[in-house]
Amino acid sequence: MRILSDLLLRLRAIVFRRAEDRELEEELRLHVEMEEEYRRRTGVSHAEAHRQALIALGGVEQVKEDVRDARRTRSLFDGAGDVRFALRTLRRNPVFATVAVLTLAIGIGGATAVFSAVDAVLLAPLPYSQPGRLVRLYNTDVRAPNDHGFLTPVHFLEYRDGMSSVASIAAALTYDAVGADIGRGDRARRIRTLPVSAEYFDVLGVRPAIGGVLSRDDEHGGMDGAEHPARVAVISHRLWQEEFHSDASAVGGTITMDGTAYRIVGVMPESFVDPLAPRADAWTPLNLDPGRDPSNATNHYLTVIARLQPTLSLGAAQAELTALATRLGVKYPDARDTRARFDPLKDDMVAPTAAALEIMLGAVALVLLIVCVNIATLMLVRGSERQGEFAVRAALGGQRARIIRQMLVESIVIALVGDVAGLAVARLGMAAIVRLGDGTIPRLSSLSLDPRLLLFSIGLATLCAVLFGAAPAVRAARTRPGDVLRGEGRGGSSSRAHVRLRAALVSAQVALAFVLAVGAGLLLSSFAQLRRVDLGFASANVLTFELHLPGSRYDSTARARAYDDLARQLEGVPGVRAAGGTSRLPATGSYNSWFTRPLSGPLVNTKIDHASLEQRVIAGDYFAALGIPRVAGRVFEAGDDAHAPRVVVVSKSAAQLLFPGVDPIGQQLRTGGVNATVIGVVADVALEIEGEIKPTVYHAHQQFAGDRNWGLTQVVSTTGNLDVVAASARRLLEAVDPLLVMYRPAPLDDVLGRGNATRTFTLRLLLAFAAVAIALAVLGVYGVLAYAVRLRAREFGIRMALGAAPTAIRSMVMRQGLIVTSAGLAVGVLGAAALSRVLTSLLFHVKPIEPSVFIATALIMAGVGVLAAYVPARQATTGNPRNILS
Amino acid sequence: MSDERLELLQGTLEMLVLKTLALEPMHGWGIAHRIQSMSRDVFLVTQGSLYPALVRMRRRGWVKTAWRLTEKGRRARYYELTTAGRRTLTTQHTAWERASAAIDHIMSVRTWAPEGA
Repeated sequence: MRILSDLLLRLRAIVFRRAEDRELEEELRLHVEMEEEYRRRTGVSHAEAHRQALIALGGVEQVKEDVRDARRTRSLFDGAGDVRFALRTLRRNPVFATVAVLTLAIGIGGATAVFSAVDAVLLAPLPYSQPGRLVRLYNTDVRAPNDHGFLTPVHFLEYRDGMSSVASIAAALTYDAVGADIGRGDRARRIRTLPVSAEYFDVLGVRPAIGGVLSRDDEHGGMDGAEHPARVAVISHRLWQEEFHSDASAVGGTITMDGTAYRIVGVMPESFVDPLAPRADAWTPLNLDPGRDPSNATNHYLTVIARLQPTLSLGAAQAELTALATRLGVKYPDARDTRARFDPLKDDMVAPTAAALEIMLGAVALVLLIVCVNIATLMLVRGSERQGEFAVRAALGGQRARIIRQMLVESIVIALVGDVAGLAVARLGMAAIVRLGDGTIPRLSSLSLDPRLLLFSIGLATLCAVLFGAAPAVRAARTRPGDVLRGEGRGGSSSRAHVRLRAALVSAQVALAFVLAVGAGLLLSSFAQLRRVDLGFASANVLTFELHLPGSRYDSTARARAYDDLARQLEGVPGVRAAGGTSRLPATGSYNSWFTRPLSGPLVNTKIDHASLEQRVIAGDYFAALGIPRVAGRVFEAGDDAHAPRVVVVSKSAAQLLFPGVDPIGQQLRTGGVNATVIGVVADVALEIEGEIKPTVYHAHQQFAGDRNWGLTQVVSTTGNLDVVAASARRLLEAVDPLLVMYRPAPLDDVLGRGNATRTFTLRLLLAFAAVAIALAVLGVYGVLAYAVRLRAREFGIRMALGAAPTAIRSMVMRQGLIVTSAGLAVGVLGAAALSRVLTSLLFHVKPIEPSVFIATALIMAGVGVLAAYVPARQATTGNPRNILS
Repeated sequence: MSDERLELLQGTLEMLVLKTLALEPMHGWGIAHRIQSMSRDVFLVTQGSLYPALVRMRRRGWVKTAWRLTEKGRRARYYELTTAGRRTLTTQHTAWERASAAIDHIMSVRTWAPEGA
């Protein structure tokens, strides 16, 4: 209680300093007055009494100063001397200072950077008005209510007309391939465009900075029936700056995309970032005419977003949507099981990375904890190392308070330097996170250092440093100087307790590091598992690039010819083994998933579950280029063109699904609005990088070019040097048509790796954190043992002088190290078992509690712990007993 | 007023302040004045040592303070003994008695001194 009241008074003295001073002044004034009065009563004159009273008081300022001293708040005012002293002491022990500052920097910097990332991506609201009202619509199925399907144009129009719970709703064609070539000659480049329905910007609640938006009149196909309805566009602020030098008269003018002039109706504000296609530079009208054809009720290709009515709950909106979808199931029997679901738009955008970022947050919290523990042990060591110094000072009459004050100042100096270094690390860390996560983590580009988070981590680390910095001094001040100086303090029971405390702290560090290391280990082994997945095709030494043929200069016949011609010409380039094109690379996810049913075979006229099959449109020697083996029948040939009967190649699993038990060759199927004959079967390839297989139907581009402008991704299998082949391919392309853009050339392995980016991102950060954590824990183990050895140097000396074998002493120290490490590991195993579940979504073919990972991590950490213990163990026995004892 | 007043040792001042306050709560000037008069003007209590001592004693929880009016209606800070203060007074008093008895005893031993010294 006394300590508490003492503390409160001191706090009061600091906080209410002014008030205290005023009260003191009043008290002293009263004193002078009373003294004066007293003296007057003894018969002295008024003025003389006042003079005498003041003299008797002995100078008001001096008294005030003395009182302040007594209050012990003076330290706050003459701290400069302490700071100088602290800097001097730290300079004398640079290793300690560096380790402490670096530890703090890592903790503060890492925590702030990751917190900022999580804040920018997960916590910050979307940059649109009333973002909580924004939802995404997904197509689902009665049997699969959690599907994330695209919507059909038919359903979109029905929802747009029939829903009262949405204020506005809009569709967009978000296929990655949608874009346009702009500019000419060496300024030719490809931009991302986004065909959207009329109310798209209403849904987002954003108005163009200049001009207007698209209208429903624009949503109809043009006279030529092409996929570009009205030739109008809203352009991005960036494009407006780059192509029109921010000239306001650009609105009403035209921009040439894919060789066609589009009238610019509006320019978006600079701050606008499209939620569906962040890099979009132009928004063009979406042709919704297909939505009026009931046969498209199974044709899923639209991304739909909506803004809910202001006060309506998501549940109420969902109820209306489900009811409407059920009614539509009657209207469109082909799609009778089609339903739809609302997801909050923000959740939808961040969901794929939410797990990764939350894991990061957890990891960084662990690191911050470790940092605090480490700082605590460092400070404790330092304090105990200086017990002798404290004792001497106390014996010489040094005030306890002054010693504590000095340790406090020292800790604060370290903390401040660490904080500044932490700021630098935070900036570097953020830059690294942005670079690592670029393109995979949405909204990361808006990352900025959050002052609140910075303050939080700085506050925490500083508190840690100061608390544990002052603790040894407080303790030292309590111990009797004589004991310490006689050497009883060293090796005495208080120091033993000290060692136990530190051992516990180090065990905690080992435990925390173990949890992080297990996390990293689980991800690492997931990666190894992923590498082992057979994707069903050869991805090595394959060059890929996108090639879009502008509809204005290439009609469907020209396009049909162009891709196959190019593949043939590419195969003539030295180093190229085979070349072809596809509407979507394998193992990069679902693309065109169409309802497909057999027109012959045993299942004709029966309902097939999961009959939505992946569709790929291919050109050239696609199968050969990717090494996808033919299983039966034949693959496409030059003769399979627009004039020939429609034919398809199906994957093995598609053949089994549609034509079980019969020879698939020659069977008929219907998909995408056409009937076709199966001419061949190829092996299955992975749809996702995880190796999942989905039945696939392959179409010949020559026959299917009229359906839409398929921007085919070229695959060029080479014998080696991809760079050389890429350069040759670029020259070839230039010779064919100088206006064509070789878009996003990349090795296929890299493209596939990108699909893995969230995992890579998480793995790299976790690995870094785990490495730091292990390093800190090793430092901790080393530190605690080195200290214990120093404390017992005298005892070891005596033992050795009495004939103890050095090996016995060494193994004693090692044993101590093992105890500290294994205690930490034991706790760590429990912690990791409890926490590793959060990784589940990022793991692949690895259980969260994978014994092999746990064992391997434990072995590694035990090994490192033994190494860390070995150095002090050697030190314990290398000294000559005579030197130690003398 | 003689110039032979003695300044008090720090520890002693605190004990005397405790004793003074054991009689009744008092303001700073009153404490100084009372110690002075009770010691028949032998001890000089300088304000420079009184007020810091009061702050220290307050911090140790020996005294508590309150602003009250004096008989003449002036606002003054009154100091009052706490239970801890009373206990301290007892222990200090005992220690003092033992110490002073011992000192007395030592000092009362007759010393040999040469004539005329």
